[in-house]
Amino acid sequence: MKAMSTDIQIAICGSAGDGTIAAGEILRNVMAGLGYKVIAFDVYPPEIRGFGKCIARMRVTTEQAYSLKPQSDVLISLDDSHAIPHVGEVRDYGAVIYERGSIVQLAEGGHISAHVRPAQLPYAVPLRELSEKSTSSNRSRNIVALGFLAGLCGLQEDTFLNALSRKFKKKPEVAESAQSAFRAGYAESADTFKLDDVVFGPVPKAPVAAGSAVEMMNGNAAVVRGCLDAGIENYFGYPITPATSIMERLALEMPKRGARLLQTEDEIAAISATVGAGFAGARAATATSGPGFSLMTEMLGLGVIAEVPCVIFVSQRGGPSTGMPTKTEQSDLHIAVYGGHGDAQRIVIAPTNVEGCYRCAGKAFEMAERYQTPVVVLLDLYLSNRYETVVFPARPPFAPNQSKAPEKDQLGDAYRRYALTGDLISPRTVPGDKDGMYVATGLEHNELGRPNDQPQNHEAQSRKRHEKLKAALAHPDFTHYKRFGEEGAVDVGIIGWGSNFGECLEAMIKARAEGIRCAAMKVVMISPFPVAGVTGFMDQCREVLVPEVNYEGQFANVLQANVGRPVARLNRVPGAPMAVGDILEEVRRLAARARRGHEKAAA
Amino acid sequence: MGNPSRHHIVIGSGVAGSQAAATLREREPDSRISILTLSSLLFYNRYDLPKVFRGVRDWREFLVQSPEYYENNRIGVRRLNRVAAVDSARRVIVLDHKEEVAFDTLLVASGGRGYVPEELTDYRALMHPFSSYTEALRTANALPEGGHAILLGGDMIGLDLARTLIDTGHQVTLIADDHAFWPHEVEDAERAGFLAALDHMGMRVIDGRAAGGIAAVEAGAKGLSARRVALADGSEVRGDVVMPFFGLTPSVEFMLGSGVDIERGLLVTPGLRTTDEAIWAAGDVCQIWSDEVHRYRFFYGWKNVRAMGELAARNMTGADDPWVSVQDEHLRLTPEGAIHSPFWEYQ
Repeated sequence: MKAMSTDIQIAICGSAGDGTIAAGEILRNVMAGLGYKVIAFDVYPPEIRGFGKCIARMRVTTEQAYSLKPQSDVLISLDDSHAIPHVGEVRDYGAVIYERGSIVQLAEGGHISAHVRPAQLPYAVPLRELSEKSTSSNRSRNIVALGFLAGLCGLQEDTFLNALSRKFKKKPEVAESAQSAFRAGYAESADTFKLDDVVFGPVPKAPVAAGSAVEMMNGNAAVVRGCLDAGIENYFGYPITPATSIMERLALEMPKRGARLLQTEDEIAAISATVGAGFAGARAATATSGPGFSLMTEMLGLGVIAEVPCVIFVSQRGGPSTGMPTKTEQSDLHIAVYGGHGDAQRIVIAPTNVEGCYRCAGKAFEMAERYQTPVVVLLDLYLSNRYETVVFPARPPFAPNQSKAPEKDQLGDAYRRYALTGDLISPRTVPGDKDGMYVATGLEHNELGRPNDQPQNHEAQSRKRHEKLKAALAHPDFTHYKRFGEEGAVDVGIIGWGSNFGECLEAMIKARAEGIRCAAMKVVMISPFPVAGVTGFMDQCREVLVPEVNYEGQFANVLQANVGRPVARLNRVPGAPMAVGDILEEVRRLAARARRGHEKAAA
Repeated sequence: MGNPSRHHIVIGSGVAGSQAAATLREREPDSRISILTLSSLLFYNRYDLPKVFRGVRDWREFLVQSPEYYENNRIGVRRLNRVAAVDSARRVIVLDHKEEVAFDTLLVASGGRGYVPEELTDYRALMHPFSSYTEALRTANALPEGGHAILLGGDMIGLDLARTLIDTGHQVTLIADDHAFWPHEVEDAERAGFLAALDHMGMRVIDGRAAGGIAAVEAGAKGLSARRVALADGSEVRGDVVMPFFGLTPSVEFMLGSGVDIERGLLVTPGLRTTDEAIWAAGDVCQIWSDEVHRYRFFYGWKNVRAMGELAARNMTGADDPWVSVQDEHLRLTPEGAIHSPFWEYQ
């Protein structure tokens, strides 16, 4: 008999300062620790405290899930004014847990109980009162709510108490207080009408390869792990949401490994130092977001023409300009692929999930070294902040030094830094290498690295800088693109990239469940574009849909420019992940059109 | 057709309140209707609660109407909402969580809660009341298979439950007092016969009056029964649960200060209107003026309560009909020697 599968989504909503995100973090860590698969995404405001809305959403499953669900099973309100608009997102027979009382007079409809639908189950809990009784403070309402939820769903109290103890291990008094609050909430649930429609089933024992580790982390943390496992030596950065936590985490870890990190005065300095470190032969990286990347593009050009390896992580957010710093968007693809002056093609890769963040981060260093070029890794706020359970391999899957060193007979006076070799990748030395005079210049140069603006030379060097990157399309142990779902000819093919691919995959699965012949392809390597692979997929699709969280259809533009065929576009800019239902609806529409096409052809 | 801006509020989601909401919607398709209830569940029939001892535990099985019914009929149901006060002058209800909700007409159908005599209130924590789904589940969980339930008082709700308990293999001891057979009014001369009938139905019956009343309810020591009831004459009964069945007391605390006349319940005209022209009452919470006996009196029973809900709603929407009891109130002995109460008929 198949074990009962679990697929529960919990949303916690409050105001900045309510501990919304903290409660979500504790819950998702516990659930991941119990062996469930977890996808979580937090939404928070640009303000630090007291104003904006925070939502911690997590989907806890026994089977692999690829995105959050449009509807939650449980909503916990820590602030009704923010949570009321989200009551409608709770499914039928799902629960709404909220503060029973109020310390202020409320106008009609000001309490969340006015908005709970008949098909939803209300749980009014004296969060404030229990917090005050158990901790002498009202600041633990979030932990009380967590305790109540755990009790309501029959989760083990000790598991959470231990988690709180671990979380606050350096502050025992805080741990004790949090545990008291949790116990108070848990006890409150004992006499309550049980939420028997939300049940966490047993966790199947998933086979994990020896030495592998299952951990839960977000995209930025996975990037950091990838950088560290790839042997990053230098990092230069300037803080910007949503990339900041990459630098924060690296700052904790790199010094332990003898590596160096510097917070520079701005993004121009950060990219300059990164290119400089690459020049010197180090594995170097920086991380930024769209506005910062705009400032970096000039130096990116230097990296391209001087053929300097370096890695730039760009976590996209709502733009342009300051835009929506705490909202997600996929609108920096154009600048990542095309941004800057001159013919300056670079490698651009975009992971589609948290595990992909790890692999892309590590592989980016390999590619930068092997193809002697800057590599842009495109993330976005959704992926940077999205938590998933990830299986890490026993040994880092990243190769050390990939630099093509000159042969002995290529050194000395014969050394040509920009030699036009068969594979168009030149032997590379770094400053200090004996007999390998190192040259790096922003001026167009000849094979020796001397300034040269002759037409034939510029043609040859331009071709070299572009054509050498094609080898990256066969870079080993890297998933450049991948097909999912139905094999062979299908009515609708979905092509997705970046964080949005999880939603594409969920839509594809739902469409197939409806009997639609559907497949999906994720494209991780965006520049150079894997034309053959994508064209092969499109050849088998009667209709092709490209959903993106941007207005312009930036990936669709790149795709069409490369394959020369039209695609159906689905573009949304809600500042949030795309709704799976929106994609599914478009798939249905295209499937109907494909069916009409079949019928017409048959007639 | 009703006025969309007209707001009817019903306090209570029991038989009377739910029937009233349905009738209001029928008569005024456009008005706004809201039910405020302390319950966490939508309307369920409390007469069905003994089913928990027959293995029916899923709360969905108890719902009289599906959630869709309320959505389709645009009847708002605010659950877990405790009314703190009614400000009749401002036509506003103040909820316990400090929210104010305005009404045009108000029907109070908050029902009654289980009454416990003052001398026994200290022992409440040791008793298992049986007036809500949650309480029913709790009792069912506390009473083991074949276990022993001690019923105190002996109102008709309790005796209905006793029938199910016996039928499902449990032992039942009834310690009968003056509330036995409530709300039937039983003459002393009839009482012994009815008690004997209960014995015939499988209950062990102790006449609490004869025993001088209940002296104490205690938790059993380790290894003994979970509960012990000591009687004034020195005798005792041991069992697994002790359940109070002393009739109902109207839930009207929140109406104090509202300006309407209250005795034990809300005093209403034969048309079920209180002394405030915008406030009505129905069900176990109200005392209706009876020209027959020239006093206000309660009318009990599922049929009566439902009829009151319907009548109040009709009168709130323009009718002017008087109350007529629809419930047979006579307790009888069956040819088999058991008792039969019309209050047990609730379909």
